[in-house]
Parts: sequence; C-alpha cells; structure tokens
Amino acid sequence: MATTTPTDVIDRSEEIRRIQRKEKWRRRIPLLPALLFTIVVTQIPFLFSLYYSVTEWTIRPARPRTFNGLSNYAELVTNKFFRDALLTSVLMTVSSVLLSLLVGTGLALLLDRKVFGQGFLRTLLITPFLIMPVVASQVWSSQMLSRTFGVVNWLLETVGVDRIEFVSRYPLWSIVLVLVWQWSPFMMLIVLAGLQGQDASVLEAARVDGATSRGIFFQITLPQLRPYLELGLLLGSIYLIQVFDHVEVMTGGRGAANVPYFVYQRSIGGGWSFGQASAFSIVVVVFSIIIATFGLRVLSGLLEGEEAA
Amino acid sequence: MAEVTYKSASRIYPGSEIPAVNALDLEITDGELLVLVGPSGSGKSTALRMLAGLEFVDEGSILINGKDVTLTPPQDRDIAMVFQNYALYPGMTVAENMGFALKQQKVPKEERRRQVEEAARILDLTEYLDRKPKNLSGGQRQRVAMGRAIVRSPQVFLMDEPLSNLDAKLRVQTRTELADLQARLGVTTVYVTHDQVEAMTMGHRVAVLKDGILQQADRPRTLYSEPKNRFVAGFIGSPAMNLFDIDRVDGQLRLGSMTVPLSASTDAALESTSGTSFGFGVRPEHMTLTTEGGLPGEVIVVEELGSEAFIHVKFEHRGSDETIVVRTDGETAIDRGDFVNVTISGPTHVFAESGERIG
Amino acid sequence: MSGGNTGPVVGARGLGSFLLGIATWIITLLFFFPVFWMVLNGFKEEVDANTDPKLFFDPTLDRFSEVTEDTTGLLSFSEAFANSFWSVLISTIVVMAMAIPAAYALSIRPVEKWRDVLFFFISTKFLPIVAAILPLWIIARDAGLLNTRLVLIILYTAMNLPLAVWMLRSFFNEVPKELIEAASIDGAKISSQIRSVILPIVAPGLAATALLCVIFAWNEFFLAVQLNPVDGTTVPVWVQSNVSSRGNFLAKLSAASTLATLPVVLAGWVAQKRMIRGLAMGAIK
Repeated sequence: MATTTPTDVIDRSEEIRRIQRKEKWRRRIPLLPALLFTIVVTQIPFLFSLYYSVTEWTIRPARPRTFNGLSNYAELVTNKFFRDALLTSVLMTVSSVLLSLLVGTGLALLLDRKVFGQGFLRTLLITPFLIMPVVASQVWSSQMLSRTFGVVNWLLETVGVDRIEFVSRYPLWSIVLVLVWQWSPFMMLIVLAGLQGQDASVLEAARVDGATSRGIFFQITLPQLRPYLELGLLLGSIYLIQVFDHVEVMTGGRGAANVPYFVYQRSIGGGWSFGQASAFSIVVVVFSIIIATFGLRVLSGLLEGEEAA
Repeated sequence: MAEVTYKSASRIYPGSEIPAVNALDLEITDGELLVLVGPSGSGKSTALRMLAGLEFVDEGSILINGKDVTLTPPQDRDIAMVFQNYALYPGMTVAENMGFALKQQKVPKEERRRQVEEAARILDLTEYLDRKPKNLSGGQRQRVAMGRAIVRSPQVFLMDEPLSNLDAKLRVQTRTELADLQARLGVTTVYVTHDQVEAMTMGHRVAVLKDGILQQADRPRTLYSEPKNRFVAGFIGSPAMNLFDIDRVDGQLRLGSMTVPLSASTDAALESTSGTSFGFGVRPEHMTLTTEGGLPGEVIVVEELGSEAFIHVKFEHRGSDETIVVRTDGETAIDRGDFVNVTISGPTHVFAESGERIG
Repeated sequence: MSGGNTGPVVGARGLGSFLLGIATWIITLLFFFPVFWMVLNGFKEEVDANTDPKLFFDPTLDRFSEVTEDTTGLLSFSEAFANSFWSVLISTIVVMAMAIPAAYALSIRPVEKWRDVLFFFISTKFLPIVAAILPLWIIARDAGLLNTRLVLIILYTAMNLPLAVWMLRSFFNEVPKELIEAASIDGAKISSQIRSVILPIVAPGLAATALLCVIFAWNEFFLAVQLNPVDGTTVPVWVQSNVSSRGNFLAKLSAASTLATLPVVLAGWVAQKRMIRGLAMGAIK
C-alpha cells in the first residue's frame, strides 16, 4: 500500500464489514468438522428413534411397520416391567452417584493430608476407575461376592456368618457397590483438584481467627468445593444413567434391569419390538433432558464464573 | 524510526455504549518516548493495543509514518511490544525467544544469531541465552522481553506496564535504564503505565487519559505546572495537589477564613467568567507554615520523610472540616495537635465548575 | 502443586495424624484389593483359584498363554486385541483431529456463540446411547457395517468427541492470551502461532485428552457387543465371552481380565494428574 494522503473523512465501513465477515468465517471453519460430525452421528439416529416410537414394528418375526400413534407410550404407563426398570434406573443412578461422591470426598480428604506415599496411594486408588466395567463386574461377582469362591463370603464364614449369594439376593445393590467402587476414585480426583486449588492464606486466616478444624471444613472448605462437587455430580450422572455393562455381566438383567437394559431386552436383546423399545428410549431421553437441564445450569454457572474472572 | 498518529481513533467494545477510547487525537514524533497514563479503565492500554493491531479501531484511523495501518494486522505493522507479564514463550530458550520475530521474517540463521547476541550484550543477558524463561528471575525476564523487542529494530516500541511486575527498588533502577536505552536506540516508543511518577520521570511527553478521553498531552513540567483541568491537576504530582470547592464572595475566592491570593492573569480571567463556584488547587510545596495570618488550623498528621515532611492541617471551610497538606523541610519541629497558620507562597490553580483551568 | 498443604502446621496432634495415616493406607489397600486379587488369581492353577482364598501358591504363566492361544470356535485374543487396538487408535486420532481445531475455535479465536456450541457438544453426552442404538443398528445393518471395525470407529469418535472438545478447550484456555498476541506482533502467521507457541504449551493436555479417549473407547462394551457381536469385536466382548464359558475357569478368566485391563491401567497411571486437571480445573478456574 502506498502512502495514503490522510483526509479527515474516509468511509471504510464497506471494507470493515468485509473484513469482519471474512474473519467470522475464518473463525467458524475449524469448528465445522466436529460440529457436523456430531450433529450427523448423534442427532439423526435420535430423530429415527422418535419416528419408530410411533410405529408398531417387530422385525423378528418380520412384520411391516405400521403407524400406531401414541399407543407405544400408552403401553409404557401400564407396563409393569417398564415401571420396574424406571425405578431401578432411578435408584441405581441416584445411589451410585451420591455414594461415590461421598466416598470420593472422604478419600480426597484423607489424601489431602501429609501421608507417607501419597502419590503411590493415589495411584492405587484411581485404578478401579480405569478398570474395564466388564472386568470390574466379573471380578466382583465371581471373585469377591461369589458364594463359593468369593473372598467376602470366605471372610463372613471365618467370622461365623453364613455364606450369602450376594448378586442374586441383592442384584441392584451389588451393582451399586461395583459402580461406587469404580466411580469413587473419579470423584476423589475431582475433589482433590478442588482441595489443592484452595487458597492457603484463607485457611491460615481462619485458623488465626480461631476457627476449629470442623468449622473451617464446613464454613470454608465445603463452600469452596461446591463447584467441584457439582461437576462431579454432573459428570457422574452423565455416565451412570447409562450403565449397561455391569447389569449385563453381573446379573444378565435378572432383578436389576434398568431402563437402558430393558430397552435392549425389548429390541436387539431378543424382544425385537423396535417400535415399543423406541418409545421406551424416548422416555429415557426425556428423563435425561430433565437431568441435563439441571446439569447445564451447573455448567453455565461454571462458565459464567470463568468469564467474570 | 517513525511517527505515530492517532486520528480521532475510537474503540467501542461490543455490547458497550461508552467508547473505551473516545476520538483520540495524538501525534507522536520520531524518536519520542510518549507515556500514556491514567487510572484503571481510562483506556490507556486499549489505545496502545489499537496501535498494536490487537484491538479493532471502530472509528478514525491510526497512521505509522504517514501510512494508514488501521486495518493492517499486527503481523504487518513492524512494531514490537513488551507486555506487562512479558509473554515469553515458555518452551523456547532466551535466544529462541529473542530470535522468534527474525525467524518469522526468514532472516538467515547466522544473521539471527548475530543480532540476538548483540541485543543480549546490550541487556547483559549473554550468559542466560540458553536458559528457559522459567529459570530466570523477574528482572531477567523483563530484560528478555525488552531484548525480544530490540532485536527486531522495529519502527515503534509499545510497552504495556513493563515494570509493574518488578519490586519497588528494581522498578526504579530499571526505569532509568529503560529510558536511557530508548534514548540511545532512538526508537519511537509508546509507554503505558498507571504510575504517574513513572510517567513523569520517563516520558518526553505524557498523555493523561480518563474515561477514554485524552485530558492533556504535554511535557511533564507543563503538565505539573499548568494542568489543563482539575483531573490532571489531582492526578499528577505526589503527594497530590490540594483541591477544594470554593465560592466567589464579593469578587474574591474564599478558602476557609482566608482570601486566596491570585496572579494578575488569573484575576483577569476570573473577571470575564460568571458563576460563583470554582475549584481551587495548591501544591503542598507552594505553602509555608507561619505563626499568624493565612489559614489557621490544627495539625492532625505529620509524615516525616527525613529530607522533608508533610503536615496535614485540619481547618474549617464552608462549615465543614477539610484537610490541607503542606510540605516543609525535615527539620521543622511540628507535632500533632499543634495549631498552625498556612500561608500560600507559590502558584495556585483555579478551575471552572466544569473542571477546565481558568488560571 | 502438591497435596498436604492444608493440614495444620503448628499444634498438629502427632498421634491422631499418625492414626489417620494408617487408616488411609488400610482403606486404600482395601480399595485396591479386588484388582490385586484378580492379578494374583491369573497366576494360579485353577485348583488354587477355585477354592477358598489362597495367598501363597506356585505362580505360573500357563493361564496367560492359555487365554492368548487361538481356539477354534471361540473368539481369539489376538483378533479381539487387534480389533480393539485399531478401533481405539483410529477413533482417537480422528477425535483429536476434529477436536483440536474445534477447541481452538471455542477458546483462542472464539466464534460468536461459542458458549452455545459448547453446550451443544456437552448436551449430546446427556443423550443416552440406548436411545440411539436401535436406529444405529438398523442403519449399520442396512449399510453393511455390522461386524466391522468401521462402525465402532465412527461411534467411538462420536462418543469421545464432546468430551475431547470440552477438555481441550480447558487446556487451550490456559494458554495466556498475551503469548498469542506477542506471537502475532512478532510476525507469526496463524499456522506458525499454533505450531510454535500454542502446541508446545498444550501438548501435555493433548496427551491426557487422547489418553482419556483411549480409556473410554478401550473399555466400551455396549456398542461393541450390540453392533459387532461376531467379527470385529473387541477385548471387552472377548473377556465377557470367557465369563460365559466359565465353569471352573476363574484363574483363566483372571488372566484374561488382567491382560484386557493392563494397557489402559498403565496409561491412566501415567496421565492421572493431567486428566483430572483437564476435566475439572479448566472448567472451574
């Protein structure tokens, strides 16, 4: 560009608009592959599900797909098995999320102190989270809880209690036990991040002000941990509402079929009535949206904080 | 080497009504060190970032050496910037940090090394060339940031509070070194700070900003002795100028029980204005303490600095208590609770109700 | 940042602190015990495993060689391992290839509605896979993709992409804005800014994110068993097939489980600190 003679009024609004438009697209382009891929792979199947859910459609034996309105949904209300599955889902998700958050916080508090071999202990503690769910379920059901070979039962016997076949007697709680075992370490890591991010000078100030350890924990540490606990709640819920592997491996669905497992049983797991199963899965989505609305509010709180900072 | 011109340049952040920088008109001559100073939120950093190309110019234009760079991306402006937190590339050694810009310009390796070593010699960094930034002290990091700017021999240096992360003693020392370096290199420099002492000691000229509006751009001496308005008067100088709202009674300005002495020119300027409310200012060193006459009051604080002392005197003005600060030499024996009389012995400043200087 | 900085310094009760330390060790060892036991059983003869718990025995590697041998009629370990390996590796590469630019566009040079876009990505994690499995199954069947690696690669990519975008954005946010500004003033083009300034800083974060994707994909069972029950199936399905044919094969099963979990456990141990920083810290701080 040659030296321009500066005049007082240069109308550059057209040029500015062009530059801004170009910049907008330059910013959008890197986002597009991920966005388009996600839309295609996650949203389109969901629309199909929505469509299947208002049809009568069994593929084994193959029958033509017919529109049947909302009768699949009406069926939901009366289907006792579905209601059981729904109750199982709620119990399983709520109890495993809350318990693992509780246990995880406890472990984090223990590990946040000066302990000999801290890093080693943390490494051991996170291992359950890394274990394949199929393997975790298998280890617990056949090597820990099993009536014949289980270590737990062997211990019970040595203290004089009769052996119990835990998994078939308490299928839901056996699954919850394994879920808590796997997810507590994850919660622990999140809470630990929160504890170590604490402002040490605030704690010192509180101590100087004469606060007791208990007081410090409830009045300072816990409020500071809140966003971390919320994040744990959120991520835990996302994954634990979808539990399938543990149900399949530990019980084969006997006595502890949650909604995901129930949908599976009704369709590709042997039921083959896709229309009805789709309606079930839509209900799962509705429930998830309820949780998601809460969850996204948590998230948006986190992002707000980030922007204010 | 270059001149920089802001022509009614404005920056309005999206979603905000008030411009962060409002129609800034400023010319910086070749080789000059101009300091932009102001309280936080005054738009001084935004103005600098507009020149760097890091902020969009919504209205007006910016010229470097007569060439309009308003829409030029930072890459093509041939400027160098020193950031407040230095912004050193953490993965690169000192030498790589300093040579990064040259590498972007595809300068041959040998030539690059020569220039980096030359800059390192000037800044006393030769023995640290192979270190990573995290292994340097704060002062060394600051010098690396300077070195990164020098190596390029750019048209303009931009410095955004480059000393604010140093401790007080090092800051004072680096201040003079930096001013000296700038004078030797003779590169036009725009320097942003919130510290008016830094501004006054370093700047060839100082531009005072407030709420995005340029208040005054002048040589430090002028800024000090002839502030254009009440804001500049209060902002420049440490300790600050004593400033009061005063009334004109019977053609005379009254501070407490005292009639304010005015120069002939101020008197004349006052004659031609209407209104009865004014702002009045007098610097602490332009008053003396006497035993009678002037303004009677009670000493409430004595700040002893050794070579000098600042005496805070409480007096009654328009029915309420006010405090005036008077500078005395360190020897004067005055204690809290003493009753003293304050006499004005130097220039005074009178401002219109709008804040504009009258005289 | 290291732990243990919040305990009282002065006036700490020595004995109480000591007892809590002991308790921490005991609890940790109890937590780890099932893993330890699984590994231990893998080194036993079946007669030692299928009885009351035995801590001392003659260790043997026979079970490991048994499970890795190709057996006719059953899924072979080497096939499942190869399927898992390629599905996980390729999906993770594809995830990173899409997530890195996306995170850049949500963090460093953000698009206008970056927050809405980020919400969209995360919200897809709230959609239960079970709601999509039927149409996916039908689409995959009609496209002839059932029992292929490709279908798992596509789905693992979709499964991990939102999480990767979320984590990478956290790491990208940690790149100081001034560094990028300094680079652009130094005359670096965007490609050079990314290569010389941004990537060196986020590299550990990229590694942690990729590892988390690997962990979730490697451990994934539902999609694999639904869409690839026969050919192209993966390690978790292989482990499960060992369970179904169990009888008195606890030692063998343990050896299989140990082999199946080993890669991911090792990876997780290495990346533990960073993984959590990407998930938690970036989101909160």
